[in-house]
Amino acid sequence: MSAASAAAASGVQVQDLSASYGSAAIALREVTFTATGGQAVAVLGPNGGGKTTLFRALLGELEATTGSVTVHGTIAYVPQTERSRLDFPVSALDVALMGAYGRTPWFRRITAGDRAAARAALERVDLADRAGTRFGALSGGQRQRVLIARALVQDAHVLLLDEPFAGVDRTSEEAIMGILAGLRAEGRVLLIATHDVEQARGWDRVLCLAGAQIAYGPPAETLTNAVLEGTYGEEIVMLDCGHRAVAIQHHSH
Amino acid sequence: MRTVFDKLGLVRWLTDPLAIPFMQRALLATLLLAVAAGLLGTWVVLRRLAFFAHAAGTATFPGLVVAGPWGLAAPIAALGAGLGFAGLLARMTRRGTTSADAATGLLLTAALALGTILASDVYESGTAVDRLLFGTLLGLGDGDIALAAAAALAAVIATAALGRTWLATGFDPAGAPALGVRAARGDRLLLALLALTVVAVLPAVGALLVSTLLVVPAATARLLTGALAPLLAGAVALAAAEGLGGLLLAYHLDLPPGPAIAVIGGGVFALVALASSKRQTVS
Repeated sequence: MSAASAAAASGVQVQDLSASYGSAAIALREVTFTATGGQAVAVLGPNGGGKTTLFRALLGELEATTGSVTVHGTIAYVPQTERSRLDFPVSALDVALMGAYGRTPWFRRITAGDRAAARAALERVDLADRAGTRFGALSGGQRQRVLIARALVQDAHVLLLDEPFAGVDRTSEEAIMGILAGLRAEGRVLLIATHDVEQARGWDRVLCLAGAQIAYGPPAETLTNAVLEGTYGEEIVMLDCGHRAVAIQHHSH
Repeated sequence: MRTVFDKLGLVRWLTDPLAIPFMQRALLATLLLAVAAGLLGTWVVLRRLAFFAHAAGTATFPGLVVAGPWGLAAPIAALGAGLGFAGLLARMTRRGTTSADAATGLLLTAALALGTILASDVYESGTAVDRLLFGTLLGLGDGDIALAAAAALAAVIATAALGRTWLATGFDPAGAPALGVRAARGDRLLLALLALTVVAVLPAVGALLVSTLLVVPAATARLLTGALAPLLAGAVALAAAEGLGGLLLAYHLDLPPGPAIAVIGGGVFALVALASSKRQTVS
Protein backbone atom coordinates (compact mmCIF):
# COMPACT_ATOMS: atom_id res chain seq x y z
CA MET A 1 0.00 0.00 0.00
CA SER A 2 1.24 3.51 -0.72
CA ALA A 3 2.41 5.89 1.98
CA ALA A 4 -0.34 8.35 1.14
CA SER A 5 -3.16 5.84 1.37
CA ALA A 6 -1.80 4.50 4.65
CA ALA A 7 -1.84 8.03 6.07
CA ALA A 8 -5.40 8.52 5.00
CA ALA A 9 -6.62 5.20 6.31
CA SER A 10 -4.91 4.52 9.61
CA GLY A 11 -6.00 5.48 13.09
CA VAL A 12 -7.02 4.13 16.48
CA GLN A 13 -9.85 5.42 18.64
CA VAL A 14 -10.41 4.02 22.11
CA GLN A 15 -13.30 5.35 24.19
CA ASP A 16 -13.89 4.48 27.87
CA LEU A 17 -12.49 0.99 27.33
CA SER A 18 -12.62 -1.59 30.11
CA ALA A 19 -11.66 -5.21 29.44
CA SER A 20 -11.32 -8.46 31.34
CA TYR A 21 -10.36 -12.08 30.71
CA GLY A 22 -13.56 -14.10 30.83
CA SER A 23 -15.21 -13.86 34.22
CA ALA A 24 -12.03 -12.63 35.92
CA ALA A 25 -11.76 -9.17 37.45
CA ILE A 26 -11.41 -6.20 35.12
CA ALA A 27 -7.80 -6.14 33.86
CA LEU A 28 -7.92 -2.67 32.34
CA ARG A 29 -10.24 0.25 33.03
CA GLU A 30 -11.19 3.63 31.64
CA VAL A 31 -8.87 3.97 28.66
CA THR A 32 -9.56 6.79 26.22
CA PHE A 33 -7.19 7.96 23.53
CA THR A 34 -6.95 8.66 19.83
CA ALA A 35 -3.90 8.03 17.67
CA THR A 36 -3.91 9.22 14.08
CA GLY A 37 -1.82 8.31 11.05
CA GLY A 38 1.88 8.99 11.47
CA GLN A 39 1.82 9.00 15.26
CA ALA A 40 3.96 6.78 17.44
CA VAL A 41 2.52 6.17 20.89
CA ALA A 42 4.59 4.76 23.73
CA VAL A 43 2.47 2.54 26.00
CA LEU A 44 4.11 2.69 29.41
CA GLY A 45 3.30 0.70 32.47
CA PRO A 46 4.47 -1.97 34.88
CA ASN A 47 4.02 -5.69 34.31
CA GLY A 48 0.33 -6.44 34.72
CA GLY A 49 -0.48 -2.79 34.08
CA GLY A 50 -2.69 -3.59 31.09
CA LYS A 51 -0.42 -3.16 28.06
CA THR A 52 -1.08 -6.67 26.75
CA THR A 53 -4.78 -6.39 27.60
CA LEU A 54 -5.00 -3.18 25.58
CA PHE A 55 -3.24 -4.81 22.62
CA ARG A 56 -5.53 -7.84 22.74
CA ALA A 57 -8.57 -5.58 22.83
CA LEU A 58 -7.25 -3.61 19.85
CA LEU A 59 -6.66 -6.89 17.98
CA GLY A 60 -10.25 -7.96 18.69
CA GLU A 61 -9.10 -10.98 20.69
CA LEU A 62 -10.69 -9.62 23.85
CA GLU A 63 -14.22 -8.26 24.11
CA ALA A 64 -14.53 -4.82 25.63
CA THR A 65 -16.49 -5.02 28.90
CA THR A 66 -17.47 -1.41 28.44
CA GLY A 67 -16.55 1.29 25.96
CA SER A 68 -15.42 0.87 22.38
CA VAL A 69 -12.38 0.31 20.21
CA THR A 70 -12.21 1.49 16.60
CA VAL A 71 -9.25 0.65 14.38
CA HIS A 72 -9.03 2.19 10.92
CA GLY A 73 -6.90 0.04 8.66
CA THR A 74 -5.23 -3.33 8.99
CA ILE A 75 -3.72 -4.03 12.38
CA ALA A 76 -0.69 -6.22 13.12
CA TYR A 77 0.99 -7.44 16.27
CA VAL A 78 4.77 -7.60 16.54
CA PRO A 79 5.54 -9.87 19.51
CA GLN A 80 8.66 -9.99 21.60
CA THR A 81 11.12 -12.17 19.76
CA GLU A 82 11.68 -14.33 22.87
CA ARG A 83 8.03 -15.37 22.74
CA SER A 84 8.63 -17.10 19.41
CA ARG A 85 9.92 -20.67 19.17
CA LEU A 86 13.54 -20.23 18.21
CA ASP A 87 13.98 -23.93 17.44
CA PHE A 88 11.28 -23.94 14.76
CA PRO A 89 12.25 -24.98 11.22
CA VAL A 90 11.50 -21.60 9.64
CA SER A 91 13.76 -19.17 7.80
CA ALA A 92 13.55 -15.38 7.98
CA LEU A 93 11.66 -15.50 4.65
CA ASP A 94 9.23 -18.13 6.01
CA VAL A 95 8.43 -15.87 8.98
CA ALA A 96 7.97 -12.80 6.78
CA LEU A 97 5.66 -14.85 4.54
CA MET A 98 3.44 -15.62 7.54
CA GLY A 99 2.19 -12.07 7.07
CA ALA A 100 0.37 -13.33 3.97
CA TYR A 101 -1.28 -16.32 5.66
CA GLY A 102 -4.40 -14.41 6.71
CA ARG A 103 -5.28 -13.45 3.12
CA THR A 104 -4.45 -16.83 1.59
CA PRO A 105 -7.34 -19.33 1.63
CA TRP A 106 -6.44 -22.80 2.90
CA PHE A 107 -6.81 -24.31 -0.56
CA ARG A 108 -4.44 -21.82 -2.26
CA ARG A 109 -0.66 -21.64 -2.35
CA ILE A 110 1.19 -18.49 -1.32
CA THR A 111 1.27 -16.29 -4.41
CA ALA A 112 4.37 -15.08 -6.23
CA GLY A 113 3.25 -11.55 -5.37
CA ASP A 114 3.29 -12.31 -1.66
CA ARG A 115 6.72 -13.94 -1.99
CA ALA A 116 7.96 -10.76 -3.66
CA ALA A 117 6.34 -8.68 -0.88
CA ALA A 118 8.10 -10.77 1.77
CA ARG A 119 11.46 -10.33 0.06
CA ALA A 120 10.83 -6.59 -0.27
CA ALA A 121 9.89 -6.37 3.42
CA LEU A 122 13.11 -8.15 4.40
CA GLU A 123 15.04 -5.77 2.19
CA ARG A 124 13.35 -2.86 3.89
CA VAL A 125 14.52 -4.06 7.31
CA ASP A 126 17.97 -4.62 5.79
CA LEU A 127 17.87 -8.40 6.03
CA ALA A 128 17.54 -9.39 2.37
CA ASP A 129 20.83 -11.28 2.59
CA ARG A 130 19.56 -13.33 5.56
CA ALA A 131 16.29 -14.45 3.94
CA GLY A 132 17.33 -18.10 3.97
CA THR A 133 18.79 -18.05 7.48
CA ARG A 134 16.92 -20.00 10.14
CA PHE A 135 15.01 -17.54 12.34
CA GLY A 136 16.48 -18.95 15.55
CA ALA A 137 20.01 -18.45 14.24
CA LEU A 138 19.53 -14.68 13.87
CA SER A 139 20.47 -12.18 16.60
CA GLY A 140 17.73 -10.73 18.82
CA GLY A 141 17.71 -7.47 16.87
CA GLN A 142 17.57 -9.24 13.52
CA ARG A 143 14.70 -11.42 14.72
CA GLN A 144 12.81 -8.31 15.80
CA ARG A 145 13.32 -6.81 12.36
CA VAL A 146 12.03 -10.00 10.71
CA LEU A 147 8.88 -9.76 12.84
CA ILE A 148 8.44 -6.15 11.73
CA ALA A 149 8.87 -7.35 8.13
CA ARG A 150 6.09 -9.87 8.77
CA ALA A 151 3.80 -7.00 9.83
CA LEU A 152 4.76 -5.14 6.63
CA VAL A 153 3.74 -8.18 4.57
CA GLN A 154 0.41 -8.03 6.41
CA ASP A 155 0.22 -4.53 4.96
CA ALA A 156 -0.51 -3.24 8.44
CA HIS A 157 -1.63 0.34 8.91
CA VAL A 158 -1.51 0.01 12.68
CA LEU A 159 1.41 -1.82 14.31
CA LEU A 160 1.33 -2.96 17.93
CA LEU A 161 4.92 -3.53 18.99
CA ASP A 162 5.45 -5.45 22.23
CA GLU A 163 8.71 -4.20 23.75
CA PRO A 164 10.59 -4.17 20.44
CA PHE A 165 13.85 -3.12 22.07
CA ALA A 166 13.96 -5.79 24.77
CA GLY A 167 17.10 -7.90 24.49
CA VAL A 168 18.34 -5.93 21.50
CA ASP A 169 21.89 -4.54 21.18
CA ARG A 170 22.58 -0.85 20.57
CA THR A 171 23.23 -1.24 16.83
CA SER A 172 20.01 -3.14 16.27
CA GLU A 173 18.13 -0.66 18.44
CA GLU A 174 19.26 2.15 16.18
CA ALA A 175 18.31 0.12 13.11
CA ILE A 176 14.84 -0.58 14.52
CA MET A 177 14.42 3.09 15.44
CA GLY A 178 15.23 3.97 11.83
CA ILE A 179 12.68 1.46 10.51
CA LEU A 180 9.98 2.75 12.88
CA ALA A 181 10.73 6.33 11.86
CA GLY A 182 10.17 5.31 8.23
CA LEU A 183 6.86 3.67 9.08
CA ARG A 184 5.72 6.81 10.91
CA ALA A 185 6.68 8.91 7.93
CA GLU A 186 4.41 6.75 5.77
CA GLY A 187 1.47 7.58 8.01
CA ARG A 188 1.22 4.30 9.87
CA VAL A 189 0.22 4.28 13.53
CA LEU A 190 2.68 2.69 15.95
CA LEU A 191 1.80 1.65 19.49
CA ILE A 192 4.97 0.64 21.28
CA ALA A 193 4.70 -1.14 24.63
CA THR A 194 7.83 -0.34 26.58
CA HIS A 195 9.32 -0.14 30.05
CA ASP A 196 11.82 2.49 28.97
CA VAL A 197 10.56 5.85 30.24
CA GLU A 198 13.45 7.78 28.75
CA GLN A 199 12.88 6.29 25.30
CA ALA A 200 9.15 7.02 25.57
CA ARG A 201 10.00 10.73 25.69
CA GLY A 202 11.07 10.45 22.04
CA TRP A 203 7.68 9.35 20.69
CA ASP A 204 4.73 11.55 19.70
CA ARG A 205 2.40 10.51 22.50
CA VAL A 206 2.63 8.50 25.66
CA LEU A 207 -0.11 6.39 27.23
CA CYS A 208 0.48 5.47 30.88
CA LEU A 209 -1.35 2.41 32.18
CA ALA A 210 -1.52 0.89 35.65
CA GLY A 211 -4.68 -1.20 35.56
CA ALA A 212 -6.38 1.98 34.36
CA GLN A 213 -5.33 4.92 32.25
CA ILE A 214 -3.14 7.25 34.27
CA ALA A 215 -2.43 9.76 31.51
CA TYR A 216 -2.25 10.30 27.76
CA GLY A 217 -0.65 13.08 25.78
CA PRO A 218 2.61 14.49 24.45
CA PRO A 219 5.51 13.14 26.52
CA ALA A 220 6.87 16.54 27.52
CA GLU A 221 3.58 17.46 29.19
CA THR A 222 2.52 14.01 30.30
CA LEU A 223 5.56 12.41 31.89
CA THR A 224 5.51 14.34 35.14
CA ASN A 225 6.74 12.96 38.44
CA ALA A 226 3.16 12.52 39.60
CA VAL A 227 2.15 10.56 36.49
CA LEU A 228 5.21 8.31 36.65
CA GLU A 229 4.67 7.62 40.33
CA GLY A 230 1.00 6.94 39.62
CA THR A 231 2.01 4.54 36.84
CA TYR A 232 4.84 2.67 38.49
CA GLY A 233 4.26 3.28 42.21
CA GLU A 234 7.20 1.94 44.19
CA GLU A 235 8.76 0.34 41.11
CA ILE A 236 10.35 3.64 40.18
CA VAL A 237 12.86 6.04 41.72
CA MET A 238 12.74 9.68 40.65
CA LEU A 239 15.92 11.69 40.36
CA ASP A 240 15.70 15.44 39.94
CA CYS A 241 17.98 16.40 37.04
CA GLY A 242 17.02 20.03 36.80
CA HIS A 243 14.80 20.42 33.76
CA ARG A 244 13.09 17.06 34.09
CA ALA A 245 12.81 13.94 36.23
CA VAL A 246 14.80 10.90 35.26
CA ALA A 247 13.11 7.63 36.04
CA ILE A 248 15.18 4.70 37.24
CA GLN A 249 13.20 1.50 37.44
CA HIS A 250 14.03 -1.15 40.00
CA HIS A 251 13.71 -3.79 37.33
CA SER A 252 12.83 -3.99 33.71
CA HIS A 253 12.25 -6.70 31.12
CA MET B 1 26.80 -55.58 -8.32
CA ARG B 2 23.55 -57.49 -8.19
CA THR B 3 25.49 -60.74 -8.50
CA VAL B 4 27.59 -59.87 -5.49
CA PHE B 5 24.49 -59.11 -3.44
CA ASP B 6 22.90 -62.32 -4.68
CA LYS B 7 25.92 -64.25 -3.57
CA LEU B 8 25.68 -62.68 -0.17
CA GLY B 9 22.01 -63.53 -0.13
CA LEU B 10 21.16 -59.95 0.76
CA VAL B 11 18.73 -59.37 -2.06
CA ARG B 12 16.89 -62.58 -1.30
CA TRP B 13 16.96 -61.72 2.40
CA LEU B 14 15.19 -58.49 1.49
CA THR B 15 12.85 -59.67 -1.26
CA ASP B 16 11.85 -63.25 -0.43
CA PRO B 17 9.69 -62.34 2.59
CA LEU B 18 7.90 -59.68 0.55
CA ALA B 19 6.68 -62.33 -1.90
CA ILE B 20 4.52 -63.80 0.85
CA PRO B 21 0.95 -62.39 0.89
CA PHE B 22 0.75 -61.64 4.62
CA MET B 23 4.09 -59.79 4.42
CA GLN B 24 2.85 -57.80 1.42
CA ARG B 25 -0.17 -56.84 3.47
CA ALA B 26 2.03 -55.82 6.38
CA LEU B 27 4.23 -53.79 4.04
CA LEU B 28 1.20 -51.99 2.60
CA ALA B 29 0.01 -51.15 6.12
CA THR B 30 3.50 -50.00 7.09
CA LEU B 31 3.72 -47.64 4.12
CA LEU B 32 0.25 -46.20 4.74
CA LEU B 33 0.98 -45.73 8.44
CA ALA B 34 4.37 -44.18 7.59
CA VAL B 35 2.58 -41.48 5.61
CA ALA B 36 0.04 -40.83 8.38
CA ALA B 37 2.44 -41.05 11.33
CA GLY B 38 5.36 -39.37 9.55
CA LEU B 39 3.33 -36.28 8.59
CA LEU B 40 1.35 -36.02 11.85
CA GLY B 41 4.43 -36.99 13.85
CA THR B 42 6.28 -34.00 12.44
CA TRP B 43 3.62 -31.67 13.82
CA VAL B 44 3.50 -33.64 17.08
CA VAL B 45 7.24 -33.17 17.56
CA LEU B 46 7.21 -29.51 16.46
CA ARG B 47 4.30 -28.72 18.79
CA ARG B 48 5.95 -30.62 21.67
CA LEU B 49 3.08 -33.09 21.89
CA ALA B 50 5.28 -36.21 21.89
CA PHE B 51 4.57 -37.16 25.52
CA PHE B 52 0.88 -36.42 25.02
CA ALA B 53 0.80 -38.65 21.93
CA HIS B 54 2.56 -41.48 23.75
CA ALA B 55 0.20 -41.15 26.70
CA ALA B 56 -2.87 -40.99 24.44
CA GLY B 57 -1.76 -44.26 22.84
CA THR B 58 -1.24 -45.94 26.18
CA ALA B 59 -4.56 -44.60 27.48
CA THR B 60 -6.37 -46.63 24.85
CA PHE B 61 -5.22 -49.89 26.51
CA PRO B 62 -8.18 -50.31 28.91
CA GLY B 63 -10.53 -49.53 26.02
CA LEU B 64 -8.91 -52.23 23.89
CA VAL B 65 -9.16 -54.74 26.75
CA VAL B 66 -12.90 -54.26 27.19
CA ALA B 67 -13.66 -54.01 23.45
CA GLY B 68 -13.90 -57.80 22.93
CA PRO B 69 -15.92 -58.70 26.04
CA TRP B 70 -18.24 -55.74 25.53
CA GLY B 71 -18.73 -56.46 21.83
CA LEU B 72 -17.30 -53.12 20.69
CA ALA B 73 -15.20 -52.49 17.59
CA ALA B 74 -11.61 -52.02 18.77
CA PRO B 75 -11.10 -48.61 17.09
CA ILE B 76 -14.29 -47.26 18.68
CA ALA B 77 -13.30 -48.53 22.13
CA ALA B 78 -9.79 -47.13 21.70
CA LEU B 79 -11.15 -43.77 20.58
CA GLY B 80 -13.52 -43.69 23.57
CA ALA B 81 -10.68 -44.38 25.99
CA GLY B 82 -8.50 -41.78 24.26
CA LEU B 83 -11.21 -39.14 24.46
CA GLY B 84 -11.73 -40.00 28.13
CA PHE B 85 -8.02 -39.45 28.68
CA ALA B 86 -8.12 -36.08 26.88
CA GLY B 87 -11.20 -34.99 28.86
CA LEU B 88 -9.66 -35.93 32.21
CA LEU B 89 -6.41 -34.22 31.27
CA ALA B 90 -8.24 -31.00 30.40
CA ARG B 91 -10.16 -31.16 33.67
CA MET B 92 -7.08 -31.82 35.79
CA THR B 93 -5.10 -28.96 34.27
CA ARG B 94 -7.94 -26.43 34.09
CA ARG B 95 -7.14 -24.71 37.38
CA GLY B 96 -3.42 -24.58 36.71
CA THR B 97 -2.56 -26.30 40.00
CA THR B 98 -1.45 -29.50 38.24
CA SER B 99 0.99 -29.17 35.36
CA ALA B 100 0.09 -30.79 32.05
CA ASP B 101 3.07 -33.17 32.05
CA ALA B 102 2.41 -34.33 35.63
CA ALA B 103 -1.27 -34.93 34.85
CA THR B 104 -0.33 -36.75 31.62
CA GLY B 105 2.10 -39.01 33.48
CA LEU B 106 -0.47 -39.73 36.16
CA LEU B 107 -3.20 -40.63 33.66
CA LEU B 108 -0.80 -42.74 31.58
CA THR B 109 0.12 -44.80 34.66
CA ALA B 110 -3.50 -45.09 35.72
CA ALA B 111 -4.59 -46.27 32.25
CA LEU B 112 -1.85 -48.88 32.11
CA ALA B 113 -2.69 -50.12 35.60
CA LEU B 114 -6.43 -50.20 34.88
CA GLY B 115 -5.89 -52.05 31.61
CA THR B 116 -3.63 -54.60 33.30
CA ILE B 117 -6.13 -55.28 36.12
CA LEU B 118 -9.01 -55.57 33.62
CA ALA B 119 -6.98 -57.91 31.42
CA SER B 120 -5.61 -60.12 34.16
CA ASP B 121 -8.32 -60.28 36.80
CA VAL B 122 -11.61 -59.25 35.19
CA TYR B 123 -11.63 -60.50 31.61
CA GLU B 124 -8.60 -62.83 31.78
CA SER B 125 -7.44 -61.67 28.36
CA GLY B 126 -4.29 -63.85 28.54
CA THR B 127 -2.00 -63.71 25.54
CA ALA B 128 -4.15 -61.06 23.85
CA VAL B 129 -2.54 -58.52 26.17
CA ASP B 130 0.74 -58.77 24.25
CA ARG B 131 -1.11 -58.05 21.02
CA LEU B 132 -2.90 -55.05 22.53
CA LEU B 133 0.27 -53.58 24.00
CA PHE B 134 2.72 -54.32 21.17
CA GLY B 135 0.53 -54.77 18.09
CA THR B 136 0.34 -57.42 15.44
CA LEU B 137 1.55 -55.95 12.18
CA LEU B 138 1.64 -59.39 10.57
CA GLY B 139 -2.01 -60.11 11.23
CA LEU B 140 -3.92 -56.98 10.22
CA GLY B 141 -7.46 -57.22 8.87
CA ASP B 142 -9.10 -55.33 5.99
CA GLY B 143 -10.58 -52.85 8.43
CA ASP B 144 -7.13 -52.06 9.85
CA ILE B 145 -5.74 -51.43 6.37
CA ALA B 146 -8.72 -49.23 5.49
CA LEU B 147 -8.23 -47.24 8.68
CA ALA B 148 -4.53 -46.80 7.90
CA ALA B 149 -5.41 -45.59 4.39
CA ALA B 150 -7.96 -43.14 5.79
CA ALA B 151 -5.42 -41.80 8.30
CA ALA B 152 -2.80 -41.41 5.56
CA LEU B 153 -5.21 -39.57 3.28
CA ALA B 154 -6.37 -37.32 6.14
CA ALA B 155 -2.77 -36.52 7.12
CA VAL B 156 -1.86 -35.55 3.53
CA ILE B 157 -4.93 -33.35 3.09
CA ALA B 158 -4.58 -31.76 6.53
CA THR B 159 -0.89 -31.01 6.10
CA ALA B 160 -1.63 -29.32 2.77
CA ALA B 161 -4.65 -27.41 4.08
CA LEU B 162 -3.62 -26.65 7.66
CA GLY B 163 0.17 -26.74 7.51
CA ARG B 164 0.44 -22.94 7.42
CA THR B 165 -1.90 -22.57 10.40
CA TRP B 166 -0.01 -25.19 12.41
CA LEU B 167 3.32 -23.61 11.49
CA ALA B 168 2.29 -20.08 12.46
CA THR B 169 0.57 -21.23 15.68
CA GLY B 170 3.49 -23.39 16.77
CA PHE B 171 6.06 -20.73 15.94
CA ASP B 172 4.31 -17.88 17.70
CA PRO B 173 1.21 -18.93 19.67
CA ALA B 174 0.49 -15.43 20.98
CA GLY B 175 0.89 -13.71 17.63
CA ALA B 176 -0.80 -16.27 15.36
CA PRO B 177 -4.41 -15.06 15.77
CA ALA B 178 -3.30 -11.53 14.82
CA LEU B 179 -1.99 -12.95 11.53
CA GLY B 180 -5.54 -13.89 10.64
CA VAL B 181 -5.01 -17.64 11.02
CA ARG B 182 -7.61 -19.64 12.92
CA ALA B 183 -5.24 -20.94 15.54
CA ALA B 184 -7.81 -22.47 17.93
CA ARG B 185 -9.65 -24.32 15.17
CA GLY B 186 -6.33 -25.53 13.77
CA ASP B 187 -5.33 -26.90 17.18
CA ARG B 188 -8.65 -28.73 17.59
CA LEU B 189 -8.26 -30.33 14.16
CA LEU B 190 -4.65 -31.28 14.95
CA LEU B 191 -5.76 -33.11 18.12
CA ALA B 192 -8.65 -34.80 16.29
CA LEU B 193 -6.30 -35.98 13.57
CA LEU B 194 -3.81 -37.12 16.16
CA ALA B 195 -6.56 -39.24 17.75
CA LEU B 196 -7.39 -40.79 14.36
CA THR B 197 -3.72 -41.54 13.67
CA VAL B 198 -3.18 -43.09 17.11
CA VAL B 199 -6.19 -45.36 16.59
CA ALA B 200 -4.91 -46.29 13.11
CA VAL B 201 -1.42 -47.10 14.41
CA LEU B 202 -2.64 -49.21 17.38
CA PRO B 203 -3.30 -52.52 15.56
CA ALA B 204 0.19 -52.43 14.06
CA VAL B 205 2.38 -51.47 17.01
CA GLY B 206 0.07 -51.59 20.02
CA ALA B 207 -0.84 -49.18 22.78
CA LEU B 208 2.66 -48.97 24.23
CA LEU B 209 4.59 -48.44 21.01
CA VAL B 210 2.54 -45.74 19.26
CA SER B 211 5.55 -43.40 19.54
CA THR B 212 7.60 -45.84 17.47
CA LEU B 213 5.90 -44.57 14.32
CA LEU B 214 4.39 -41.32 15.54
CA VAL B 215 7.33 -39.70 17.33
CA VAL B 216 10.65 -41.46 16.74
CA PRO B 217 10.97 -40.97 12.93
CA ALA B 218 10.00 -37.28 13.13
CA ALA B 219 12.31 -36.70 16.10
CA THR B 220 15.14 -38.32 14.12
CA ALA B 221 14.40 -36.26 11.01
CA ARG B 222 14.41 -33.15 13.22
CA LEU B 223 18.07 -33.82 13.94
CA LEU B 224 18.85 -33.90 10.24
CA THR B 225 17.18 -30.77 8.88
CA GLY B 226 16.13 -27.27 9.87
CA ALA B 227 13.53 -26.82 7.13
CA LEU B 228 9.91 -27.97 7.14
CA ALA B 229 9.52 -29.71 3.76
CA PRO B 230 12.57 -31.99 4.18
CA LEU B 231 11.45 -32.63 7.75
CA LEU B 232 8.02 -33.86 6.63
CA ALA B 233 9.51 -35.96 3.82
CA GLY B 234 12.28 -37.27 6.08
CA ALA B 235 9.85 -38.34 8.80
CA VAL B 236 7.71 -40.27 6.28
CA ALA B 237 10.78 -41.88 4.68
CA LEU B 238 12.27 -42.86 8.04
CA ALA B 239 8.95 -44.28 9.30
CA ALA B 240 8.67 -46.35 6.11
CA ALA B 241 12.29 -47.53 6.18
CA GLU B 242 12.24 -48.36 9.89
CA GLY B 243 8.89 -50.11 9.45
CA LEU B 244 10.23 -52.19 6.56
CA GLY B 245 13.41 -52.97 8.48
CA GLY B 246 11.39 -54.05 11.50
CA LEU B 247 9.19 -56.26 9.34
CA LEU B 248 12.16 -58.04 7.79
CA LEU B 249 13.88 -58.41 11.13
CA ALA B 250 10.69 -59.81 12.63
CA TYR B 251 10.31 -62.29 9.76
CA HIS B 252 13.87 -63.57 9.79
CA LEU B 253 14.48 -63.60 13.53
CA ASP B 254 10.94 -64.54 14.54
CA LEU B 255 10.48 -61.37 16.58
CA PRO B 256 7.29 -59.40 17.23
CA PRO B 257 7.29 -56.66 14.53
CA GLY B 258 6.28 -53.72 16.77
CA PRO B 259 9.23 -54.07 19.14
CA ALA B 260 11.54 -54.79 16.18
CA ILE B 261 10.53 -51.47 14.57
CA ALA B 262 10.98 -49.74 17.93
CA VAL B 263 14.51 -51.12 18.31
CA ILE B 264 15.48 -50.04 14.79
CA GLY B 265 13.91 -46.61 15.29
CA GLY B 266 15.72 -46.14 18.59
CA GLY B 267 19.00 -47.29 17.05
CA VAL B 268 18.70 -44.94 14.07
CA PHE B 269 17.85 -42.04 16.37
CA ALA B 270 20.90 -42.78 18.55
CA LEU B 271 23.21 -42.97 15.52
CA VAL B 272 21.88 -39.74 14.02
CA ALA B 273 22.07 -37.95 17.38
CA LEU B 274 25.66 -39.11 17.78
CA ALA B 275 26.58 -38.01 14.25
CA SER B 276 24.84 -34.64 14.75
CA SER B 277 26.65 -33.94 18.01
CA LYS B 278 30.01 -34.86 16.41
CA ARG B 279 29.24 -32.63 13.42
CA GLN B 280 28.40 -29.75 15.75
CA THR B 281 31.59 -30.32 17.72
CA VAL B 282 33.66 -30.25 14.52
CA SER B 283 31.97 -27.13 13.17
